[in-house]
Amino acid sequence: MTAERLLAEERSIKVSALERGTVIDHLRHGTGLRVLAVLGLSDADQTVSIGLNLDSRRMGRKDLIKIEGKELTREEIDKIAILSPEATLSIIRDFQVVSKLGPELENELEGVVRCRNPSCISNHERIPSRFLVADREPILRLRCAYCERVVPQGEIDLL
Amino acid sequence: MTADTVANPELAKAFVGRDVVSMRDFRREEILFVLDLAERFEHTSEPLLGGRVVVNLFFEPSTRTRLSFEAAMVRLGGQNIGFADAGISSVAKGESLADTIRVVENYCDIIVIRHKFEGAARLAAEASRLPVINGGDGSNQHPTQTLLDLFTIRKLHGRLEKLRVAFLGDLKYSRTVHSLIEVLAQFECEFVLVSPQELRMPRDILDDLARDGVRCREEFKPSILPVDVDILYTTRIQKERFVDPVEYERVRNAYRLDREALEVFPRPVTVMHPLPRVNEISTDLDDYEGAAYFQQARNGITVRKTLLSLLLGALP
Ligand SMILES: [Zn+2]
Repeated sequence: MTAERLLAEERSIKVSALERGTVIDHLRHGTGLRVLAVLGLSDADQTVSIGLNLDSRRMGRKDLIKIEGKELTREEIDKIAILSPEATLSIIRDFQVVSKLGPELENELEGVVRCRNPSCISNHERIPSRFLVADREPILRLRCAYCERVVPQGEIDLL
Repeated sequence: MTADTVANPELAKAFVGRDVVSMRDFRREEILFVLDLAERFEHTSEPLLGGRVVVNLFFEPSTRTRLSFEAAMVRLGGQNIGFADAGISSVAKGESLADTIRVVENYCDIIVIRHKFEGAARLAAEASRLPVINGGDGSNQHPTQTLLDLFTIRKLHGRLEKLRVAFLGDLKYSRTVHSLIEVLAQFECEFVLVSPQELRMPRDILDDLARDGVRCREEFKPSILPVDVDILYTTRIQKERFVDPVEYERVRNAYRLDREALEVFPRPVTVMHPLPRVNEISTDLDDYEGAAYFQQARNGITVRKTLLSLLLGALP
């Protein structure tokens, strides 16, 4: 790794520069823009910084997002967990990391994933979708709590 | 008599007020408990459910299932109300399912629902404080059908464990087959899946069976019936699944069972079908020793009587 690159990575993950907000680090390479879109951050009020294809000792390549003045909701964390289970979330208050966690996917996801089955009741009544984690390994599979269809990782349709 | 005459009073108690929405909600031990209890209900016509009311919400018509639930209730001295077609009810005016449930639960003690959309029974169960029984939700689940199939199999074979079962016909769209195979897999059964390529068992079910190490093979030539099985479970092949009507005719004739086709079996094989049949099973099999399809219909009442009593906490 060149000195410049190292410096660049150091700068981009310098979380203390953030007074209050969230740093989403170790995003699976190539998912940064998806996460940005899914969290609706591209036209949000907050200042957002994004780093793509950064060098990472742990992952080779990674993406990273810093959001100023925002803490994520449960649904947003679930969405990150689906897109990039290895990500780490650092919550910053007063320039300090107050908590650092992986986006632990709950066993039950409400209002996070859309069921693709057109004859699922969740697509015909005004109710939030609900999915249960069927398998975490070798790939994530979710089961719709209503129609019971299984969706593998690559086909998950985030709301 | 009270619940303490039952083999497992703890389990019996846990069933009171519970919903029967999907076979996935039940452990193996619970399934066996219901089947054991059902044996005691075969000849029971005590008025255990006197004064109780079931509401049968048939948003999708199914005369057979509705009559079976109604007969079960009447046999035990209970009353039925409900509708047989959503077109004539307030639902047609656009009321939400949850609202319909919250209104009708004031009229009854237990709810039976059949609906064309998958997951409707789950939603009804979430909306209601009363027990809800799923009478079929689209292509998803029909737990009383699965239980009556299991009851029939156990009655005829004395066990559920380690049986060899062939499923025949439309294995892609048949919820009856999907549900039954998932339960029988827990009992270490082996399967032969005989279907046309275009109606083969869905990938995710095959993957689950493979993952759990279940012995299972697919066969796409109906002319080669697996003669080493204990049970032949046949299903209806529906015309609307085919683009080409000629192909439909070819397939449905190829998957038809008759007495001659069963001559290759060294001993009588149990022949099951969820009914109604069209021409999948020739009438010349009706007095065949292994023919079990009309017995399934009779067992349906027994299983429904059992569940209604169990959920309402009124056991013999
Ligand atoms: Zn669904």
